Amino acid sequence: MPTPVASPGSSARVMHGTSTPYLFLLPYLLIFGVFGLLPIGLGVWLSLHQWDFQLPNKPFTGLDNYTELFTPDSLVYSDWWESVRATAIFTVLSVPLLVALPLGIAMLLNRRFPGRTFFRAVYFAPYVLGVAVVGLLWRFLLDANLGFVNHLFGTHTPWLTATPWAWVSLVGVTVWWTCGFNAVIYLAGLQDIPAELYEASKMDGASAWQRFWHVTLPGLRPVLLFVITTTILASANMFGQSYLITQGAPGNETRTVVSYVVALGIGQNDAGRAAAMSVTLTLMLAVVSIANFRIFRYQEDS
Amino acid sequence: MTTFNRRQLLGLGLGAAAAVSLAACGDDDKGPATTGNGGKDYTGPKVTINLWNGFTGGDGDIFKKLVDQFNTEHANIAITVATYKWEDYYAKLPGAVSSGNGPDIAVMHMDMIATFAARKVIQPVDDVASALGLSESDFAATVWKGGLYQSKRYGIPLDMHPVGMYYNKALFQKAGLDPAKPPTNRSEFEATLTALKGAGIQGFWISPFQFTGGMTGYSLVHQFGGALYNADATKATFNSDQAVEAVSWLTKLIADGHSPANVGQDADYLALKSNQNAININGIWQVNDLKKSPDVQWGVAPVPQIGTRKAVWANSHNFTIVQQKTTDANKVAGAKVFINWLSQHSLDWAAGGQVPARNAVRDDPKFKELTEVNTLAAELPDAAFPPAAPGIGDVTNLFYTAFNEAVLGKKAPKQALDDGVAKADKLLEDNRKKYGS
Amino acid sequence: MTIRRIALYATLLVFTAVFVIPLVWMVLTSFKTYPAAQQSPPTWLPDPASTYGYGRLFEAGSQNPVLRWFANSMLAATLHAALVLGTASTAAYALARMRFRGRGAMFGLIVATLFVPPATLIIPSFLIVDTIGWLDTLTVLVVPTAASAFGVFFLRQFFLSLPRELEEAAILDGANQWQVFVKVVLPLSRPALATLLVLSFLTNWNDFIWPVFTLFSADHLTLPAGLGLLQGAYVTDYPVVMAGAVLASVPALVLFVLAQRYVIEGISRSGLKG
Repeated sequence: MPTPVASPGSSARVMHGTSTPYLFLLPYLLIFGVFGLLPIGLGVWLSLHQWDFQLPNKPFTGLDNYTELFTPDSLVYSDWWESVRATAIFTVLSVPLLVALPLGIAMLLNRRFPGRTFFRAVYFAPYVLGVAVVGLLWRFLLDANLGFVNHLFGTHTPWLTATPWAWVSLVGVTVWWTCGFNAVIYLAGLQDIPAELYEASKMDGASAWQRFWHVTLPGLRPVLLFVITTTILASANMFGQSYLITQGAPGNETRTVVSYVVALGIGQNDAGRAAAMSVTLTLMLAVVSIANFRIFRYQEDS
Repeated sequence: MTTFNRRQLLGLGLGAAAAVSLAACGDDDKGPATTGNGGKDYTGPKVTINLWNGFTGGDGDIFKKLVDQFNTEHANIAITVATYKWEDYYAKLPGAVSSGNGPDIAVMHMDMIATFAARKVIQPVDDVASALGLSESDFAATVWKGGLYQSKRYGIPLDMHPVGMYYNKALFQKAGLDPAKPPTNRSEFEATLTALKGAGIQGFWISPFQFTGGMTGYSLVHQFGGALYNADATKATFNSDQAVEAVSWLTKLIADGHSPANVGQDADYLALKSNQNAININGIWQVNDLKKSPDVQWGVAPVPQIGTRKAVWANSHNFTIVQQKTTDANKVAGAKVFINWLSQHSLDWAAGGQVPARNAVRDDPKFKELTEVNTLAAELPDAAFPPAAPGIGDVTNLFYTAFNEAVLGKKAPKQALDDGVAKADKLLEDNRKKYGS
Repeated sequence: MTIRRIALYATLLVFTAVFVIPLVWMVLTSFKTYPAAQQSPPTWLPDPASTYGYGRLFEAGSQNPVLRWFANSMLAATLHAALVLGTASTAAYALARMRFRGRGAMFGLIVATLFVPPATLIIPSFLIVDTIGWLDTLTVLVVPTAASAFGVFFLRQFFLSLPRELEEAAILDGANQWQVFVKVVLPLSRPALATLLVLSFLTNWNDFIWPVFTLFSADHLTLPAGLGLLQGAYVTDYPVVMAGAVLASVPALVLFVLAQRYVIEGISRSGLKG
């Protein structure tokens, strides 16, 4: 799936009236238009204002909310870029793990052995927890002085209050929480690779590593693109963990963009600024995602 | 937990205002509709009044009991209560009010009143105060003034909640200290910590978070002669020499081994309960929580005077009346009756671990029986309440962030506080533009 | 049993320990007393074992109608998942199989909305549901989040990989487009639909900010939004929080296990191949 646009190929030999496609689309498009597109449009409109639910005047401020993000002596400049840095660090650290580790688990679980249904359920289980529970659970377990983890290992590691440990915790908890989700997707992808390819590769005397490199990975490429894309988006959207587990500490060093945007928009009722930051983050993510799609397409071409 | 029946309450003689409300207790619901007389009574048709609060602890149950009692006594007023976590509560209130889903009465901390008044979420209640004859002399002065915004009254104080010093008596004994004589000043405090250290105890865990290290820092800034803001809250001053000295005194305790580094959220308090931490400065609300752990030998005392004057962090819950899109005079009248009634019954509320805001209730012998809460009530003349300015809560958070950086050693105290003040002054200016004050 | 197999089980058990120990701790904590759960150093086993946490959840006469919240969540998540299935499947089918003007642009637009962080759209969405008059109703939990592009994207990939011949045969037998969709495509897509059902149900079940922000009556709250009220104001009441987590996890876990066979088959057959 090289680009997120319509695939070619369907010759649409199935005949239908000209209005039929629109009738099929209508229910979804109604919801999508009102709750998918309209909020985005409204968000852009808010970003051009100083906007508060209750204040009688909501003055139009043009691009001020955007320019201040790039003006070093503005109120939000340092907080904004600190949060961008936090989101970037978290994404860069978590995505490789969330892409690689579930793949390993999926390959283990792809074998036929007694009890594999049980193990699949076990690895998925943390994902059914809500973020509030995940946050409270790990804040308790990881406490530097009273927590179970340090008690178990006899250490005094500041898991929650000092970097880089806070990053290790946030990434580790997120991997623990969502690993099973990606593993299930990989498992599915693995079923799609024809067994004959492995047989042929074995006949050629390929080692297990070579089979992984030359059969498994190429066969998984479409799934991999899907997983990488959704994982980048999910990691860039992370905020519950940082809000609940580290509370942004030390200082605001682990406060992510979305966490900051929610704090501004909902906590401080500064919806205009929050919206401008949302739009800017979206553009950043779009650039990363397009680059991601490009890289995969080049690989497919070569 | 002490409970009172109605007869006892009536016998308590809660000052001039009480007599006014007694008349309201026996009313029937056949009277003519009125637009309210400031909360003396309500004789109109039956109204249902929705109240929001953030009492998710044991305090919520006590509040609900009081509401039930009120509903029983008032045939034509029905109060319904919705409770949310405070942070969710303040986040959702503006949207709820602007969409017509807001409550009629909102319980609010005093430092939020100006913010919500400036945004016209709540409406003036001057008539409640005047009709009931309430004045500054009935309340602690700062708390009473905290309900004012642009010379109009928006909040009727219900209670005050300062921080106090909790200490672990078992650890005191272990270090050869007299558990009946907690430290009261700097030299005693430092001697206590030294004695505890001698017994291998890190005696005073300092949390980098607002609850409760930040509130300790807030108290000490005022004790050392500083303040977070200048008098009219137009400039942040929490990087003054006094403030730097206060925060540095705390960070030095960590360096000297009286507190572990990297204390997590609530760990200071939980360590006190599990006999690892000897002293924790925490809110008066923990009195009830500690009573749930009978194995812990604890005591509570006023915060020692470390600096040049006495001061403690404190805040106050206030009743406010929400500004609806269309005003229902009957509801407003009924709401005022409730506020007045509960203000007088705030002795029962004290059982929830709060100090009643009304002087008359605090002077009541029944209040004196609530030993622990009463101990901390002694601090209130020196309490450092937050200033009343719109958006001030967001600015104060910048102090807590700076405190966090200093305690975690990310920055030197002066650097952290300087950086915080630079940002705070920008936010204060931004707030002035936004709220037009 | 070969050495390889022993190695496999050993590896699986190590991973299992990492995944399960925190969950076991969660369940054990839900059976502790309030003071015991705060002990330091922490203890594994509840001593004494207590139903304090569960008792608080279901306390008679408390201001927290937990069973009501449970029912609200169940109803909302089920209706939401059904709505997603209904709307996304028809839309995805049109995008996968029919030819019409603007198809490419429409699909591009739908997928592009995935890049917008949902948490940042709360205030705009709030203004819209307020205008419609859905605040504080069940509808606000069910409908707005069904606009997600994920379902359409996912199902379209699946439909593209279905063998076309079956649909063509049905057309030759005189079936119209709707009949083909209902009688041929949907039955073939059971696995993908089961996948989407679980994922939409879980997303809705665990959603937190949106319900907190748009519901105002205590009786209307969802389970995660409501459980937040029970965690204690000043110190976390761990037995209650963990008992609530156990309560909230059970339906989701049961649904996952029931649908699991379909989930794996579903994703594999959607092929995600482009």
